[in-house]
Amino acid sequence: MEEEKKFVGGWGKGNKMGERRPEDICWKERWVDVGSAVRLLDLSAMSQMQRSFSIDLPSLRLPSRRETHLWYILPDEVKSTSLLKRYSQLLSQTEKDRVDQMRGDELKKNALLARTLVRTTIARYQTNEAVDPRSLMFKKNMYGKPELDWQNCNVQPLHFNISHTDSLIACGVTVHVPVGIDVEDKERKIKHDVLTFAKRFYSADEVNCLATILDPEAQRKEFIKLWTLKEAYVKALGKGFSAAPFNTFTIQSNPGGYNLCKTSEITANPLEETKKCNGGWKFALLELADSHYAAVCTEDDQADEGAPMRVIVRKTIPFVEDQLILKEYFCN
Amino acid sequence: MASLSATSLSFKAPSTRSTRISQVLRKASTFQSISFGRFQSSKSLRLQISCAAKPETVQKVSDIVKEQLALSADTALTSESKFSALGADSLDTVEIVMALEEKFNISVEEADAQNITTIQEAADLIEDLVQKKPAA
Repeated sequence: MEEEKKFVGGWGKGNKMGERRPEDICWKERWVDVGSAVRLLDLSAMSQMQRSFSIDLPSLRLPSRRETHLWYILPDEVKSTSLLKRYSQLLSQTEKDRVDQMRGDELKKNALLARTLVRTTIARYQTNEAVDPRSLMFKKNMYGKPELDWQNCNVQPLHFNISHTDSLIACGVTVHVPVGIDVEDKERKIKHDVLTFAKRFYSADEVNCLATILDPEAQRKEFIKLWTLKEAYVKALGKGFSAAPFNTFTIQSNPGGYNLCKTSEITANPLEETKKCNGGWKFALLELADSHYAAVCTEDDQADEGAPMRVIVRKTIPFVEDQLILKEYFCN
Repeated sequence: MASLSATSLSFKAPSTRSTRISQVLRKASTFQSISFGRFQSSKSLRLQISCAAKPETVQKVSDIVKEQLALSADTALTSESKFSALGADSLDTVEIVMALEEKFNISVEEADAQNITTIQEAADLIEDLVQKKPAA
């Protein structure tokens, strides 16, 4: 089984790589701009819709213990009504009902794409035999976090987490450790004053950090990045928002990456602060499609504490095309 | 001073509640806004009997929600409209809560904020908090 399909022609036009020092394997922020889509399957892909799932969803090896696989869909790229109809056939009745509850066609479509992304993504990692995405079952943990009910449907015990905005839907997958992801439009405008918002919801250290950024646009961007990182952590924790109110923890931005500090542990002594900021969680912050920030948070496996998180990003239109975007390490 | 105001509050509360209950009995439209599902939760049941929010509060909440989610002015919202079904994400919900705090001059606990999933629930919580505020 191939790890991923190879494609001819390399990257599309207009590629840019962020600055990189050769000695660094770790990136604080990374993005790859792929100018034009490179199809992994040829343009007669539509005929493949008649074939079995195992071909339409190329199978993949599972993420390794330090990896998060991040898949995303751009709803604007999915226009075919026959494709959307095929997607709706993958959903359970409960999921279909929830899609119907959404107010307006765009929201309905995005809700459909979100469930499609979850089901088709998880189905790709089933190594024993091709798994019908329809057969996957889900449950919620005792705090309401959606999980794969892997025991009941004989599939690999993956962890996943989903996040969506109007224009991008993402799904993160890990093995061994819980994962949380959050995506946000880079240009998202906050109706309230950024510092007022931060004072109400963020930790004191984060407010102080934001207050030092004088340019309002740069401040807003940093606010959004912090939001995605904090959300990703709470979602990875999986105990609901009341278990980790935003003002009880700080996401610290360091040259090497991001760190979690629990507010109660921060003291006046700067040396003590550093010691207590290895909260047992890894973070990665990326830019997707040049339009969104995406934050990934995974729990630190005790054996892996301090090791970088590897993130593999793929863009997809399920059953049509997959595109490898990025494979990078993120340090803490 | 504190004990005096607490006493005055407890005198006030029953009459406010009975007015509300009579409002519920009189206005048939309020019954229509109660969805079947809410009977299953004892929390909802308590809110329903003691603190059915005034229509004006529901309207103010709807206006704030429409503004935050950039919905058109003629979008039909009912008290049972779910934030998530209107496309609100977690950031929207937090901004809505902040706008409600400003509008009604209240302070919402994070745990309470999370339990808000519909316009009715937001309105009920607001009225609960407004009622609990110390007498001016």
